[in-house]
Amino acid sequence: MQWAIVIAAFLASAVEFVEAFTLVLVARITTNWRSAIVGALAAVATLGVIVGTLGVALVTLIPLDVLRFVIGFLLLLFGLKWLKNAIARYNGLKLLHDEEAIYRARVAEARARGEPVKSGLAPFGVLLSYKGVLLEGLEVAFIVISFGGSGVGGIGTAALGAALAGLLVLGIGVLVQAPLHRIPENTLKFVVGIMLTTFGTFWAGESFGITWPLSDLFLLILAALYLVASGLLISAIKQRQPRMVEASTTLRAAPLSQDKGVRP
Amino acid sequence: MNIILKAMLAIYNFFVGDLVILIGVSLIMIILALIHFLSTSISLRGASGVILIIGVLATLVATLGREIMRSENRQQA
Repeated sequence: MQWAIVIAAFLASAVEFVEAFTLVLVARITTNWRSAIVGALAAVATLGVIVGTLGVALVTLIPLDVLRFVIGFLLLLFGLKWLKNAIARYNGLKLLHDEEAIYRARVAEARARGEPVKSGLAPFGVLLSYKGVLLEGLEVAFIVISFGGSGVGGIGTAALGAALAGLLVLGIGVLVQAPLHRIPENTLKFVVGIMLTTFGTFWAGESFGITWPLSDLFLLILAALYLVASGLLISAIKQRQPRMVEASTTLRAAPLSQDKGVRP
Repeated sequence: MNIILKAMLAIYNFFVGDLVILIGVSLIMIILALIHFLSTSISLRGASGVILIIGVLATLVATLGREIMRSENRQQA
C-alpha cells in the first residue's frame, strides 16, 4: 500500500505546488527572488509543523477504527470534490485552470498596488508568496495527514511523496522561470480524485468491519472501477452537451421566429 | 458573530464545498452504521462493501447532475 500512498500524495502535491509556484513567481516578478523564496520556505515550514503536530497527535491519540472512519470520510469528501471538478472541466461545465492567465492577472494586480522593487526583503513579496504556498498547500497537508489512517508510517510515506513533488515542481520552475501551464493539471486532478476516492472507500469500509477481498490489492480493483465509471460519466455528459447547446440555441431563436410570424 | 460564520463557511468550503457530496457521503455512512450496529440487519452485512461503492458512485452522479442542471439553467438564462 505504501507505493500507492507515495503516488497519491506526489500527484496531489504536484498539482497544488504548480498553482503555488505561479504565486511565488508573481512575488518574484513584483518584488525579488529573495522575498519570494523566504515566503515560500516559511509556508512550507508552517505546513510541516501542521502535519507534524496535528497528524502525529491524531494517529497516536485516536483509536485506529475511529481514525479510519474519520479519514475515510474526509478522503471521500476530498476525492469526490476533485473528481467532480475534473470531470466537469473535461466537459466544459467548468473553466480549465489557466496558470498563464492567473499569472498575468496576479502580476497586474500586484503592480497596481505600486510596490517599489527592492533588492532586500520586501514584506509584500514575502507575504504574497507565504499566503499562496500556505493556502495551496493546506489541502495537501490534510491529505498527507489523512494517510495516517494506515498508521504513523503512512504520514511519513505521504510526506515523502509531497516533498518529492515539491522539489520537482520547484526544480522545473526555477529552470523555466515561467508559469508551468504545460503540466496537465486537470488530468492530474482526475487521477488524484480517483486515488483519494479509492482510499476513502477502502478505509471507510474497513472502519465498518468490511473485509475487502484480496486485502490491499482490492485498492487496484476499486481504482479501476472508479476509473471506468468516471470514463463512462465523461462520455455520457459529452453526448448530452451538444443537445444542451442545441436546446439553448432553439430557446433563444424561438421568440425571434414568433416575432416574424414564422411557424415551426 | 459575523467572523464565526465566515470561519465556518471557510472551513465548509475547504473540506467540502459541495452540499450534494456532503449529504451523499453522510447518508452512506449512516446506512453503513445502521447495517453494522443493528442486529436486525445482519443479513445485509455481507453486502456492505457493494452498498458503499454504489453509494459513492451515486453521489458522484448526483453532484455531476446538479452541475449539468446549473449549466443548462445558465444557458437558458
